[in-house]
Amino acid sequence: MSKRLLTVLDPKGQPSGVFGRVLDLSNPHAILDPEGQPTTNLESFEQYKMADRLDTLEGKTVYLVETGFAGAADFMKEVQGWFEREMPSVKTVLRSKAGNMFTDDPELLREIAEHGDAAIIGVGG
Amino acid sequence: MPTVPVVTARFEHYVQKDSETHGMFLRYIFPPHPVGFVPREKLRGYVEGNDPVTGRPLMQEAIDHLTKPLTEMEKNPVIEKKPKRPRLLEPDTEENLYRLFIENGWTDGLPIILPTEERVAEMLTGTDRDPQEVIGRMSVTTHQERLEYTVEKVAVNAVMAGCRPEHLPLLLALAATEIPSLPSSTTSFSSMLMVNGPIRHEIGMNCGLAALSPFNLANSVIGRAWTLMSINFGDARPGETFMHSLGHPVNYNNLCHAENEEESAFEPFHVEKGFKPEESTISLFRGWHYSGSNLGPAKAMADAMQKTTRMGTIIMDPLVSAHLKDEGFKTKEELRQYIAKEAQSFPQAINFIVVGGQTNPMWALTDYMHVKTVSIDEWIPKSGIKKDEKPLRMPVPVQCKDGICGIPAR
Repeated sequence: MSKRLLTVLDPKGQPSGVFGRVLDLSNPHAILDPEGQPTTNLESFEQYKMADRLDTLEGKTVYLVETGFAGAADFMKEVQGWFEREMPSVKTVLRSKAGNMFTDDPELLREIAEHGDAAIIGVGG
Repeated sequence: MPTVPVVTARFEHYVQKDSETHGMFLRYIFPPHPVGFVPREKLRGYVEGNDPVTGRPLMQEAIDHLTKPLTEMEKNPVIEKKPKRPRLLEPDTEENLYRLFIENGWTDGLPIILPTEERVAEMLTGTDRDPQEVIGRMSVTTHQERLEYTVEKVAVNAVMAGCRPEHLPLLLALAATEIPSLPSSTTSFSSMLMVNGPIRHEIGMNCGLAALSPFNLANSVIGRAWTLMSINFGDARPGETFMHSLGHPVNYNNLCHAENEEESAFEPFHVEKGFKPEESTISLFRGWHYSGSNLGPAKAMADAMQKTTRMGTIIMDPLVSAHLKDEGFKTKEELRQYIAKEAQSFPQAINFIVVGGQTNPMWALTDYMHVKTVSIDEWIPKSGIKKDEKPLRMPVPVQCKDGICGIPAR
């Protein structure tokens, strides 16, 4: 090959500060077609902070949310069983997320905020 | 609300990187992978056992994550904004640049044509758009940062794929959909791209004999360019943003072809979707399965669909479309209703396209869902598609109606 120097253009796209998309269950093509779906941006992420932690789980209500991936429901049942055996003072509430693993479930989030103290959500993978 | 996300250990790197990008270092626990399709006793072992990433008891870790106070970094997360990329790479020899493109994951693993300034400028003669016009943002994931791209970036990837200026308007329309051909899923998606309308002939696409095989320049390089754009605009990086477990051979070229409108017994696909016959369009599809060696009437189609996909797109040779008409199906809609009923499916989940060279009345069953059809016309320069003085076209032995596209002569 020639040792002559070439100048070539960068093929990668530029960072946009615009992130992903929020999938809307009412749109059956949501996962296929990004058009018209709301996006988020860096500024909105800056508003998110991790919640303060609890002093203890004793006597608290922990929501166990299965996301819809294969095995998640059974895994969460085993987590519930573990709490019943090892930490019976913790009340657990098992819930399946509505829709599918890619979609939000605002109603469930409201329920958890109203009635729960903590949540374990999964299983991704 | 204190929350612990649970993700299997196989995805540790993936989610940690994702958290970093979003400036949120969430407190995950990682059971062994996978949790799907394993017996309950094994899952109990996972719950009672250690997190393979940290080596600590999984549930104790979950409790700690919910009760240990936040660190300063967790209280005040910092989002690192990615720097803007330079337009030009550092000058280097052809050999070194070629190596750079491969090692940076900017290719599909096949040889590319390096996008020199001269070649990109030549590619841009195929459009009258401003090279710096931003035409979209893309991500192969549903959550990562979407990368922004210009007309010039599309031209760069077009050069790499081996495209010519005449292909650029179609690629711009394709890029403007912001739809990647490689959506990240562990289930190994694939995509299909079909072109309708006059542009098929203007740029020498094949809709006839062996249209889905690797003979025709336009079919091959346009399909490939979609993959390169998905890698470079959608930011597909295996293990980081792209998680196909098996991968899919269709990803190389995305079954890129044109519809054989002239020989089809049915109306063209784009007309069915509300476009005018004289409009040029791209239709995009997505799914997993392609089964190509099927013969027989509508009942056979319905039976095959009922036993397998229960939805999708049937790709049929023009001979099949003629036979179906002889069977009594006057329109695609009549056929769709029949197959949906027989296959216990939904009419809206079934599509038909016609392609092929009429050497055998065969059809392929796919589970490809129609995603979108868009017009190419607004991307065609006012002066029309740029054509070579001596066009590169199909090899001579392939008989064509007008010598360019592969439609058998009558």
